[in-house]
Amino acid sequence: MKRLMTAAAIAALVAAPAMAGDIKVGSVAGVTGPIAELVAPIVAGRNLAAEDVNAQGGLLNGDRMVLMLADSQCDPKAGVDAGQKVVNVEQVVAVIGASCSGATNGMVQSVTIPAGIMSISDSATAPSVTDLADNDLVFRTAPSDAYQGAALAKLAWDAGFKALAVTYSNDDYNAGIAGVFAASFEGMGGKVTANQVHEPNKASYRSEIQTLSGGGAEGLALFAYYGGSGITIIRNSLETGAFGKFMAADGMFDVSVIEQIGAENLVGNLMITQSASDPENTSYQIFAKAFEKTGMDPAAPYASHGYDATFLVALAIEKAGAADRSKLSAALREVANAPGEIIRPGEWAKAKALIAAGKDINYEGASGAVDFDANGDVAGFYSVNRPGDDGKYVMEFLR
Amino acid sequence: MEQYYGYFIYALSLLTMGGIYSVLALGLNVQWGFTGLFNAGIAGFFAVGAYTQALLTTPIYRDHLGGYNWPIPLAMLAAMVLSAVVAYAVAKICIRLRSDYLAIATIGIAEIVRLIFKNEIWATNGPRGVSQIPKAFEGLPQPWNTLAFLGMVLTIVALIYLALERARTAPWGRVMTAIRENETAAAAAGKNIEGFRLESFVIGSALMGLGGALMAQYLKQIDPNVSDPLTATFLVFVMLIVGGSANNRGAVLGAMLMWTVWSSTEILTSRLPDEFAIRSAYVRVFLIGLILQFILQKRPQGILPETRPKPNPRHRGDNSPVKNSGRTTE
Amino acid sequence: MMEFLNFYLVPGVVLGCIYALGAIGISLTFGILRFSNFAHGDTMTLGVYITLSLVQVSGLHPLAVAPVAMLLTTGLVLGMDLAFFKPFRKSPTIMLVIASFGLMLMIRSMIQFFWGVQLHALRIGIEKMAFFGPFAILPRHIMIVGAAVVLMMAVHLMLTRTKIGKAMRATSDNPELAALTGIDTELVIRATWAMGASLAVAAGVFLGLDTHVETMMGFKLLLPMFAAAILGGIGRPYGAVAGGLVIGIVEELSSYPWIGETPLLSPGYKAGVAFAIMVAMLIWKPQGLFRGRQF
Repeated sequence: MKRLMTAAAIAALVAAPAMAGDIKVGSVAGVTGPIAELVAPIVAGRNLAAEDVNAQGGLLNGDRMVLMLADSQCDPKAGVDAGQKVVNVEQVVAVIGASCSGATNGMVQSVTIPAGIMSISDSATAPSVTDLADNDLVFRTAPSDAYQGAALAKLAWDAGFKALAVTYSNDDYNAGIAGVFAASFEGMGGKVTANQVHEPNKASYRSEIQTLSGGGAEGLALFAYYGGSGITIIRNSLETGAFGKFMAADGMFDVSVIEQIGAENLVGNLMITQSASDPENTSYQIFAKAFEKTGMDPAAPYASHGYDATFLVALAIEKAGAADRSKLSAALREVANAPGEIIRPGEWAKAKALIAAGKDINYEGASGAVDFDANGDVAGFYSVNRPGDDGKYVMEFLR
Repeated sequence: MEQYYGYFIYALSLLTMGGIYSVLALGLNVQWGFTGLFNAGIAGFFAVGAYTQALLTTPIYRDHLGGYNWPIPLAMLAAMVLSAVVAYAVAKICIRLRSDYLAIATIGIAEIVRLIFKNEIWATNGPRGVSQIPKAFEGLPQPWNTLAFLGMVLTIVALIYLALERARTAPWGRVMTAIRENETAAAAAGKNIEGFRLESFVIGSALMGLGGALMAQYLKQIDPNVSDPLTATFLVFVMLIVGGSANNRGAVLGAMLMWTVWSSTEILTSRLPDEFAIRSAYVRVFLIGLILQFILQKRPQGILPETRPKPNPRHRGDNSPVKNSGRTTE
Repeated sequence: MMEFLNFYLVPGVVLGCIYALGAIGISLTFGILRFSNFAHGDTMTLGVYITLSLVQVSGLHPLAVAPVAMLLTTGLVLGMDLAFFKPFRKSPTIMLVIASFGLMLMIRSMIQFFWGVQLHALRIGIEKMAFFGPFAILPRHIMIVGAAVVLMMAVHLMLTRTKIGKAMRATSDNPELAALTGIDTELVIRATWAMGASLAVAAGVFLGLDTHVETMMGFKLLLPMFAAAILGGIGRPYGAVAGGLVIGIVEELSSYPWIGETPLLSPGYKAGVAFAIMVAMLIWKPQGLFRGRQF
């Protein structure tokens, strides 16, 4: 193994990293760090898009789209450093990333905005990203937390829940959604019987759960990452009998939840929302079919957003007609928003032809319609996912 | 042409982060290099300084304290003061502990500090952090803003270096070294051990707070992840040990060198095919640990060994028979 | 009252047993090798991952393969001692502490490299609580506590009845005297590593059975285990047991609504409970509850 690594390292040093005729795009992601296992499918989604582009004629005059990976570690220090490397050393034309909102904010404020480079994140969902003064350079294909919390609250209300207990993992992502959820649920007339933060990665949450369960809650709204605390909380709740029904947001969305707890314990008792596009919508189906060859689940949180972000960058470069940093953000809006002929994931050759003919296009992505508003945000569409008897999730799009 | 400009800007970023880490390493050097205090809670003081800077300078925002709009230099001073105050409290409690107990205690305290910043959401916005932190010189056009900020960081490093060198050769510094090497003898000579240790701890922590304040400006964003033990505490120790502890030049050298190694090794590994690129992130951490072990065993004094101040004839006590000119007196 | 017992006290005891098993190893290392081993948590993680691989290869229950995992982990730990700790036998403790910092990261990154970062499970599904009158407890908790008690008894027997055990106690109490009476210090050191590593593997497997397996699991427990060892008194394995139980119980009880409906301490600070206890002990009574070595 060591010899293979050494050989690979020497090859990497000796070989030219990217040949002339390559267009480099930065791919900044939290490869190591607290959400490493969630980031792997997202990076795979990005890579798939680049593969599709290169397989169907490449960028501009047949140039290859090359994604330069850099690790942001879900930490602003590393995010800024990763940004510096891809922007200045690799001279990328645009940046996809970062994964966490904190790392993204650091990277765009310190590196990409001052350098005039467009960036598009596929999983940073904090509202603070919207508020940045960004010269229209910062975009995201992931909807702000503000939406998912409200969608889940409506789902819970419509499902008949009138009183829920809430617990959330103390990280930027889950704390955000939980806050919106509680406010929305109460705004509809529901009662939040208890609302407690919990620190992730503890061995036992039995005491927290017990404390949450008094008060007449009909279920538990759980905002956590499945690995950090989510599975443990569901398990503890079911075993002590404190809660039988659970609602969660996409940090919980992973098949290991069903695998570790057992489908028979969860069918009819668990609802997980996630950012999604209409599955009847062919865009998602095209993406899902292609993504399966990576061996990962196409419904993994933000994998489809990663695909869309990358495909959109490629479309923007093509539309701008040159690998020119300054032209991309305007081009991005043109290719992402209506009006225009619909382009779906994987339809690179078709898009190339239309752009060459001077026609307008409108990308409808695997993660949603991907139409950017004035702030560079997208609207939120969600699906609810329930465990089925076969051990997989059954998805229902929320209209 | 653009490529060279890009390398230039990247080099500036390496120097800036290296400079900020130099401030941290110099602070650690005061505590550990000179006085032998094993402060494993660097991340805590760093966080105090960073959040102070952030909360005092950012404009009003719905999710955290703000709107005080202090001028940046004043906020940096406040960061140092607040870190010093926290350090004083910590030192009062812990200063008598033996080295590895002190390490455990300071780690625990740093974790508690981090939890406070994470949970007091009304003040700090909790895990979502504080954004849009004003940065010195950011109004200038590129690349002058980067150069000016770097200039400020390097000036601060130079000032601290000069001040610490002065202190090292002065009696204060030599008492510290005496306490570190032979505490009983120093006590027998009538030195107030606890007082000196306290001073050293407070001064070192104030520097760490300043480092935090600089980092907050440079990143323009901080959240509790910024003070993670690996990159905010352990890395600083590696920097100091590799560069040479009890040597101020070694602290700066170690900081610049190790940050450059840490950052630039990724450029190489990210060019590997993807399955390797992702796993190579773990190899980087492994290598840093291995480098540390190597230095500890083969060259524990670091690259630049400790320099002892030569006794300065002018600083001898009144009872010494030798005066400046070397002539004896009656 | 029953709720307090079943849902707060018992989980606290279970957690405490896991802390206790790890803390014994730390206490022994502290007492005999004279340094705080920061790599202990990741040694635990290593042991669990080895167990996981053995389970995947053999299909047996984790407890069945655990002894093999203990042997393998001990072997690796002895190798690490040879490479990274032995050169510092005569050096100031601080070198050992720093070396253990470095080793902690090396072990963790190698686990992440070879096994990847995704979650694994040692056991699938959920169990229903077993009822004994008004008492309710999970079967696997009975197993964990039971196995922990058995292991602690084994430690006790080893330390009091066997020759090597007595040699370990002698070295811990007074190393110079022990060496003078002809005790082979290196053998004692190896035995210490073996015992500490094996107990850590056990603690890790119990934790993995109770939750799941992931690469940071040992490190997350490291500081509470240090707290337990300090609380009990350094070099006092029985103290470590008491310390572990106290810390585990207090952590779980901190979420109890002592006054009114909400917990006294926000659960976000739960992790800080162990640290606070530890810092308090260091200030107030550094030799611990059971009067261990004070350095």
